[in-house]
Amino acid sequence: MSSIRVNPNPTPDLLAALSEVTQQVNTATLQLATGSRINQPSDDPAGAAQLTQIAARSSQVDSFQKSTSTISGLLQTADSTLSSVVSALTRAISLGVQGATGTLSDADRSAVSQELSGIQTQLVSLANVSYQGQYVFGGTAVVQPFTADPTAASGVRYDGNNGINSVVIGDHYQLQVNVPGAQIFNAAGAGVFQAMNDLIVSLGTNSGIDTAVAEVRAAFDQVTTQRVFYGNALNQIDAQQAFLSSEKLNLSTQQNTVASADPTAVASQLVKAQTAQNATLAAMARTGQTSLFDYLK
Amino acid sequence: MSNLSGALSIAVGALQAEQGALTATTNNVANANTPGYSRQRPVLIESDPIVLGSLTFGSGVTLQKLESLRDPILQLRIQQETQQQGQLDAFVSALQQTQVSFTSSSNDLGTQITNFFNSLDQLSTAPTDSSLRQGVLIAAGNLASTFNTTADNLIQQRSSLDLNVTQAVGQVNTLTGEIAKLNGQISDLQNANHDASAFIDQRDVLIGQLSGLVDVATIKSDNGVTLTTSNGTALVAGNQSFTLSTQTDPSGLQHIFSKGADITSKLTSGSLAGLIQARDQTIPGLLSNLDSLASGLAKALNTVQSGGFDLNGAAGGDLFVAPSASGQGYAASIAVAISDPALLAANSDGSAGSNGNAVLLAGVRNQAVVAGQTATEFYSNLVFGVGSDISNGSAELSASQLALQQLQDQRGSISGVSLDEEAANMVRYQNAYDAAARVVTTVNQMLETVINMGTLA
Repeated sequence: MSSIRVNPNPTPDLLAALSEVTQQVNTATLQLATGSRINQPSDDPAGAAQLTQIAARSSQVDSFQKSTSTISGLLQTADSTLSSVVSALTRAISLGVQGATGTLSDADRSAVSQELSGIQTQLVSLANVSYQGQYVFGGTAVVQPFTADPTAASGVRYDGNNGINSVVIGDHYQLQVNVPGAQIFNAAGAGVFQAMNDLIVSLGTNSGIDTAVAEVRAAFDQVTTQRVFYGNALNQIDAQQAFLSSEKLNLSTQQNTVASADPTAVASQLVKAQTAQNATLAAMARTGQTSLFDYLK
Repeated sequence: MSNLSGALSIAVGALQAEQGALTATTNNVANANTPGYSRQRPVLIESDPIVLGSLTFGSGVTLQKLESLRDPILQLRIQQETQQQGQLDAFVSALQQTQVSFTSSSNDLGTQITNFFNSLDQLSTAPTDSSLRQGVLIAAGNLASTFNTTADNLIQQRSSLDLNVTQAVGQVNTLTGEIAKLNGQISDLQNANHDASAFIDQRDVLIGQLSGLVDVATIKSDNGVTLTTSNGTALVAGNQSFTLSTQTDPSGLQHIFSKGADITSKLTSGSLAGLIQARDQTIPGLLSNLDSLASGLAKALNTVQSGGFDLNGAAGGDLFVAPSASGQGYAASIAVAISDPALLAANSDGSAGSNGNAVLLAGVRNQAVVAGQTATEFYSNLVFGVGSDISNGSAELSASQLALQQLQDQRGSISGVSLDEEAANMVRYQNAYDAAARVVTTVNQMLETVINMGTLA
């Protein structure tokens, strides 16, 4: 009798072991089902906190992407409108040059003048273009920016303002999304409507047509210059969209690194745990089946 | 005594002793599965020898007593570990419920904070768009109601823990009452020199249960055991028990009193201590952090909102109902202050199409609004705190469970009933009984021989 007396009742130990392996089976099953090894904060507190931040960041990048596509529509509308303005002014310049040759009759000049009036009307309508209910060239005002008004010197009144909007499309990255209409169409000495008006008047009086044509050229240059802003902005949007997509990818890689369960490893853990569970159950079924009493007759 | 009747009395003594030993075996077998039972062992001793002239004769066997096998020191260690385990178990299971609110999902607080700021981002791309404005108000409403539910869950949990505290105190009182009664019975029996094993086993079981609830220090004395909490609050002395009572404090929570003294914060282990730790420290800590987060966020947003102008050109009013200076209880009550989307102060200069203030409102996302951290950073630290409380607690709990299991194994190896052993003993006692009976038969035959000596001549 020198050996240590063992605990004759192994059931509590076996129950504890069974609960342990059952827990392992459950954990592995959950990890396989969700593909993530962090299913509640206590699974990995630091990882869970990191995931919270990554998820917030990723959602913010989504929001930036949405913003870029919204304002890209706005910028494209502005850009293509200004492209139409440029062609209208090109036509006006060639009409003005034609009117200045001095070989035209009064009737011909009147016809030219009429076409120019048509172009003026078209220009006003272009300048009032809107995108999703927002006037593109009205600054930050919400009223129609340009209105034909005989009392105004240029024949067109500006009701917009000089407000500028910037939209955040990245961290510390604000993109200006508009140029006030006054800056494009009403620049001093290069106003589109003023120049057009002067050209129409000069054709009527048949004097100073060359000066008026020069004025329209100046307006043309001004619009072309301002249009560059929109081209640039669109380029920046493209670049930022590419950056945001790569950041999104980057974030999802980070998320995987922090949280994803290695399916092969987890599957083999599951198999191991299940084997252990079966073995424990088999052991439990066998304990206490026989004792010396069974052998006494 | 070296005569036949002497031999007969030795054999009869042996028959009695083996019968008594068999009683111990029977009792052991009967109690093989009784919790807390300590196995008994017959103590057989030689009877005093008899000296006749130059000869010394043995006078047989005596069953001195039935002895219970237990290790009081081990019992004490089991009680201590049970207290430790009780505390950790209560604490971890309380927090398991808490962590549900902080588990990442499509509508956890972190997601709602981000969604809200995203809606402001979108508003800045088209500040007059009424659907985007409505979107901001809906996101703000979701954010507020998530704060409300998260805080409500914590508050409800605290009340259910409070209920558990009351129940545990009731159990403590029942147990101390029973232990005091057993103390009385045990000392009565021991004073009369009787074996009190059965009652001692029962008392150990009850002290074990009590250890699961409070931190019990056991002092053995002449009149049984004296039980106190580790800070010295008396629970049982001799056959007298001291009940604990509960009283509602101003915040509506139950405090535990012993003889007029508030001992709530003095309990260091047992499930009561775990419940109180979760109820009085962890959950209030989380609630106050949520309050700080909600009020910090609301204050920052209200400030920016008041610097801008709404769609009608008026200066912006509060976006969220303003928190009190301390912010206490704000998470449970935070609500959106405006219902008209036009009242969102998206512009910074009074011209409706300006998005300047929407950009500033969205910029609060990156602003330190509470404890020098952004809302998202602060929230993720909360998640870390809840998670690490549980994972540390669980690690300690499994260590404690292992230790307790080890101790129970040790106890089993000393006090547990082994059926094999009992069967072997039974065979031994039976054989010895058979042998003694055979001696009686033999002596009987010899006596007959003696009696018949004269008659057959």
